[in-house]
Amino acid sequence: MSLVEVMNVTKEYANGEETIRPLDGVSLTVEEGDFVSLMGASGSGKSTLLNLIAGIDLVTSGEIVVADTDITKLSRGKLADWRARHIGYIFQTHNLIPVLTAYENVELPLLLLPMSSAERRKRVEIAMEAVDLTSRASHYPRQMSGGQEQRVGIARAIVANPTLVVADEPTGSLDDETTEQILQLLERVNNELGMTLLMVTHDADAGLRAKRKIRLERGRLLEDGRELQTAKLRTA
Amino acid sequence: MSGTAVALLVFCFIGALQQGLLALTSDGDAGRTLIVFQENRFCPQSSRMPQDYQRTIAKMPGVKDVIPIKVFTNNCRASLDAIVFQGMPAEKLKAWRDINLQSGDLASFANQDDAALVGIDVATRRKLSVGDKFTIGDVSVVVRGVFQSATAAENNLIFTQLEFLQRARGANDVGTVTQLEVHLDDTADPDALAKQIDEEFRTGPVGTTTRTKGMFQADTLADLAELIGFVHWLGYACVGLVLSLVATTTVMSVQDRIREHAVLQTLGLRPLRVFSLVIIESLLLSTLGGIFGVVGSSLLLSSTGMSIAAEGVTIAFEPSLVLAIQGILVAIVVGLLAGLAPGWHASQTEIVPALSQA
Repeated sequence: MSLVEVMNVTKEYANGEETIRPLDGVSLTVEEGDFVSLMGASGSGKSTLLNLIAGIDLVTSGEIVVADTDITKLSRGKLADWRARHIGYIFQTHNLIPVLTAYENVELPLLLLPMSSAERRKRVEIAMEAVDLTSRASHYPRQMSGGQEQRVGIARAIVANPTLVVADEPTGSLDDETTEQILQLLERVNNELGMTLLMVTHDADAGLRAKRKIRLERGRLLEDGRELQTAKLRTA
Repeated sequence: MSGTAVALLVFCFIGALQQGLLALTSDGDAGRTLIVFQENRFCPQSSRMPQDYQRTIAKMPGVKDVIPIKVFTNNCRASLDAIVFQGMPAEKLKAWRDINLQSGDLASFANQDDAALVGIDVATRRKLSVGDKFTIGDVSVVVRGVFQSATAAENNLIFTQLEFLQRARGANDVGTVTQLEVHLDDTADPDALAKQIDEEFRTGPVGTTTRTKGMFQADTLADLAELIGFVHWLGYACVGLVLSLVATTTVMSVQDRIREHAVLQTLGLRPLRVFSLVIIESLLLSTLGGIFGVVGSSLLLSSTGMSIAAEGVTIAFEPSLVLAIQGILVAIVVGLLAGLAPGWHASQTEIVPALSQA
């Protein structure tokens, strides 16, 4: 069974009197250990799909099953608990908490899980080391460069050892050199730590670094030029 | 937080004034002691009764003791710094006033004509200590003791010998007093005795009005009490002010950090915990401000010994532990209420639109 199963998902939202439908019955599967890039033009719905899979947005219709849980059936509270256990989210703009140090930002997701402080400390140290920022642990976000902030963001996303790491334009606000460092880091997260990665990007070069490249065009998903097949709903 | 502190400071000032008024009109002594005053007179300067009324009243059944008192005040109108002298025989002072000398001694007070025992609040305000000589309204005295009274309002009085005050300011008022303080035994009916006293002197040289001490003080301070009753609404206004200050600050804080809350929810924070975070923040803001205000007002009131006086009767601002607890409770409740709406808003905000906010 696939780690992620997106089945006939449609997403609509209202924009004034107009109804926008960025996703129209899309289906997608992601296997454990995959590194999938999701590309497409601005407004194509790639971030919408990522947010639906990450459980921070709600589908209009269809099902999304991640690690055997149909997240479209969960209440807001249970969905939050599920995100804490299963999702690591890397934002384009880092979104670190400004009043916390790098160490404390990375520790944040672990505070939501039942864990001893010794275990928490060990995991944060491992994550900080993985992104090569141990020496910056006591620095605040304002004292770091954009690339360093993004590395802290990646450490925060992987520290709880999530089932799926999602990244929304992780290199969107970085220069070329830093982009390369971040992409190498994401490859290591996938190859060395074995984490499944789903990355949204509009940068074709960044997208090519993934094992699977999927494009989103006019609400449809295409892989290697072919549309991905519509899946049957589990509850159908 | 500073706004909350100031509002709670005012709240406690008003509360302390109300407690002072309440203590003056309703403590145990207020109902079992009568004050005999000249009929239809209000300011102490205008009440001049024959001192020998004392002997007649002392013979009435139910009367334990009678104290002749001469009162002098430098200001009959409502004032925050009125000085009130009470002249009475030294032995009566010792017997009937529950005072504790902080410095000086009663013997030197009793042995010197122009000696004065100064209430601790007056001494603090006017920086007076034993041995100091001072003059107020042409009355010159030497401080022979500084006392603290169990009755807070008395800490704003200056006690002198009766005869000294009768002869003060070049006058010769020996034989006349401002008021007589009548202490009753446990069997006496205060109202009946008050009527009996007024009846006794109806045909005398000076008519009298006799009331319980509580009623006398309430009547004397009637205008001031009405004003204090109105100020009481100002106390509620302060609570409203704290509520709006904390609520506005919390709403602004939630608006500023809507994206931060969305990030926390993305990481897995439940909506209920976001709600709790906002409530805790609002609670801390209000409670800390409240504590600063309450502590500030208590320190200020106890260090300055503030009082307000009218027609020779003083009301002390009485800070108390109960008032402090009330103030902090008000701050806590207001903090909770002020956080409810912003907390609910923060917890129900959709994550994706909030993440894209600047």
